[in-house]
Amino acid sequence: MDSTAADAAVAGPGGGPAIYFDGLSSRRQEVVVAFKEALEITADGLSPVSSQVSSQVSSSVSSQVSSSVSWAYSDIRRADSGPGTLRVACLSAPSLARLEIRDAAVAAELMSRCALLGDNRLGGRGIAKIVGWSLAATISIVVVVLFAIPLAADRLTPLVPEAFEQRLGDAAAVQLKTLFGGRVCDTAAGQAAFSKLIDTLRKSADLDLLVQPTVLATPIPNALALPGGRIYLLNGLLAKAETPDEIAGVLAHELGHLKHRDSMRELIYNGGTSFLIGLLFGDVTGSSAVIFASRSLVTSSYSRDAEQNADTFSIDVMQRLGRSPKAMGELLFRVTGKEGNRSLSILAGHPLTEDRLKRMSEADRPASGSPLLTDTEWSALKSICGPGKS
Amino acid sequence: MNQASFVPQHPPALPPVPVAFSGNRGDFFRLAARGAALELVTVGFYRFWLVTDIRRHLWSHTVVDGDAAEYTGRAKELLIGFLFALAILVPIYLAYFLISVEAERYKAFASFPLVVGFYAFGQFAIYRARRYRLTRTVWRGVRFWMDGSGWAYAWRAMLWGLLALLTLGLIFPWREAALERYKMQHSYYGELQGSFEGRGWELFKRCWWLWLLSPVAIVLFPLAPFFYAEFKAREWRWWLSGIRFGGVRVESTLPRTALYGLYWKVIGWFMLLSIVTGAYFGLCGFLFAKISGAEPDTLTKSIPLLILFGIGYLAMILSLNVVMRLYLQRDVWAKVSGLLQVHGIEAAANVAVRGDLASALGEGFADGLDVAGF
Repeated sequence: MDSTAADAAVAGPGGGPAIYFDGLSSRRQEVVVAFKEALEITADGLSPVSSQVSSQVSSSVSSQVSSSVSWAYSDIRRADSGPGTLRVACLSAPSLARLEIRDAAVAAELMSRCALLGDNRLGGRGIAKIVGWSLAATISIVVVVLFAIPLAADRLTPLVPEAFEQRLGDAAAVQLKTLFGGRVCDTAAGQAAFSKLIDTLRKSADLDLLVQPTVLATPIPNALALPGGRIYLLNGLLAKAETPDEIAGVLAHELGHLKHRDSMRELIYNGGTSFLIGLLFGDVTGSSAVIFASRSLVTSSYSRDAEQNADTFSIDVMQRLGRSPKAMGELLFRVTGKEGNRSLSILAGHPLTEDRLKRMSEADRPASGSPLLTDTEWSALKSICGPGKS
Repeated sequence: MNQASFVPQHPPALPPVPVAFSGNRGDFFRLAARGAALELVTVGFYRFWLVTDIRRHLWSHTVVDGDAAEYTGRAKELLIGFLFALAILVPIYLAYFLISVEAERYKAFASFPLVVGFYAFGQFAIYRARRYRLTRTVWRGVRFWMDGSGWAYAWRAMLWGLLALLTLGLIFPWREAALERYKMQHSYYGELQGSFEGRGWELFKRCWWLWLLSPVAIVLFPLAPFFYAEFKAREWRWWLSGIRFGGVRVESTLPRTALYGLYWKVIGWFMLLSIVTGAYFGLCGFLFAKISGAEPDTLTKSIPLLILFGIGYLAMILSLNVVMRLYLQRDVWAKVSGLLQVHGIEAAANVAVRGDLASALGEGFADGLDVAGF
């Protein structure tokens, strides 16, 4: 700004040819630039610029053709261009007005006069800023996933109306039946024994919610609780069980899930974490491998806690009934075997079976209560899906 | 409005001008490699800046009639668009969840039709993303722009999609032509209105045998890249040759075999990177077993080894990212634009500026929904 025209004449070329687009039309104008107090852009006197105006151009544009424009050096910014061309814009001119200089000496002179030329480029500091903010965002998301969402899930779960949970359970039940073939075992004697077992556990646990227990005919050894009081015992597990206490322990565990409303909490928790982690990696629906990996790491630790609590509940109920809490651990061990070598403990949704068995064995006491089922009732329950079929 | 009527007033038809791509491949590689590294460090947030840098590079090295184009979009716009899209998508996801619970009560997987709703949203995003890109494209100090409605487009795309489903994809060329016609009729360069002259029948004539042979490609899958490259080249050529802006006509001479090499190079790199990563995994496991003396089946339990595996996996993903950007974005762009000719460029010699900038909301939706389109 403080260099005068006289300095410029000594330091470098006083001007040169350029191409000018006025930002109001696509007309390509050959101009001469001169380095004065400001950059003077003058239409090449000899070229009949205005005569090129054709019928296409509205009058407002043709009236804009000016013989001279001046751009302040501090307002000039570089715009993207191909190699061998310096293309600049000006903050005080129309936003798309462009000056293109192909003469290297003129371009160098202009660059030396415009201190703020490259202001719209992303420099090292800009990148450092992006990195810093991304790290901050990552940390805050991690903190939210680890602390805020579990808290929110705990607080929100009691606020969810029972009716909605019931509906959720209904929806899940329809899907579950489709997945497992859907055959419900309801031999009269077996169903009576099953209801008796559930009722005994429910009374002992002081649970007043409505429980709908069902046995499904599938060889998969598992049991699960759905929101709204549905408990599913899969026949595969029943076939592997040797005493009523084993099944009672498992059912008490599932009742524990119902009492703590774990499905609802896990739903809120899983939804929240997958959404946030998806946000972090730029995919809201959450499908890529990284998301899957980090999600399973985080959510499995959460569900391990829930399982631990349900186990505690089961142990309590069995002790109150004077029956062995260890029986459930033995059944689990029979189903899964020793897990320690096969799976990574931090990825597992359950605590390792051997750890659970150990915990239940420690809580074991000699049986003091009466058996939960008579021998006839037990064999009726075992064959609830029809005689001789697993 | 019919700008084409001006053409007869310019009697001497000038020879077509070629489009040239002057970008340096090394420059682009450095751009993509640095971007991939920064994407890793910023857990993906750098993608907005990388995408912007790539577009700036491609646009500013594409020279039409001696003047290079310019991309004036900025990464911050994309970031804001993404955040806006999130603010809109979150309640939609929540509503989607509640509705699907209700639907599933009556019949398992009855909520599947809701996926159709997301498809419509994706089509909307494709239209709006194109609008953003077009309004950030400047040539000779005049920007392109677009009007029309994203939802009207999504509606058309859905109906055509249904027809394509019913005809097993046979109607795909007509779908492409109709949708492109809608997009181009609402595109402008300054005051020059665009149009699309490509006909579905033309594309069908060029590609019907690929459609017939597609079951073969599923069985003999090494043939699939050939088929895809052949189809893509034919589609590019058909699409570009149909583009008009007033009296300006674009013509592509892309040979049908032009993209074979590029797709095979990507596959070659993919195989090479997979082998290298596999070897790295094997070596890590072997060395780890040697040093710690652990049994092979306990290896999957060790955390340090998993971290080493994770690093290898990320390195592979990042290199693959660079390979895809280099071959499938830069090289395809260079090849396709290098074989373009523009007829009647004199009609664009003096076009007045018109149209407004569009927001990057569409790009944000496209990012959030993971849809891609052009």
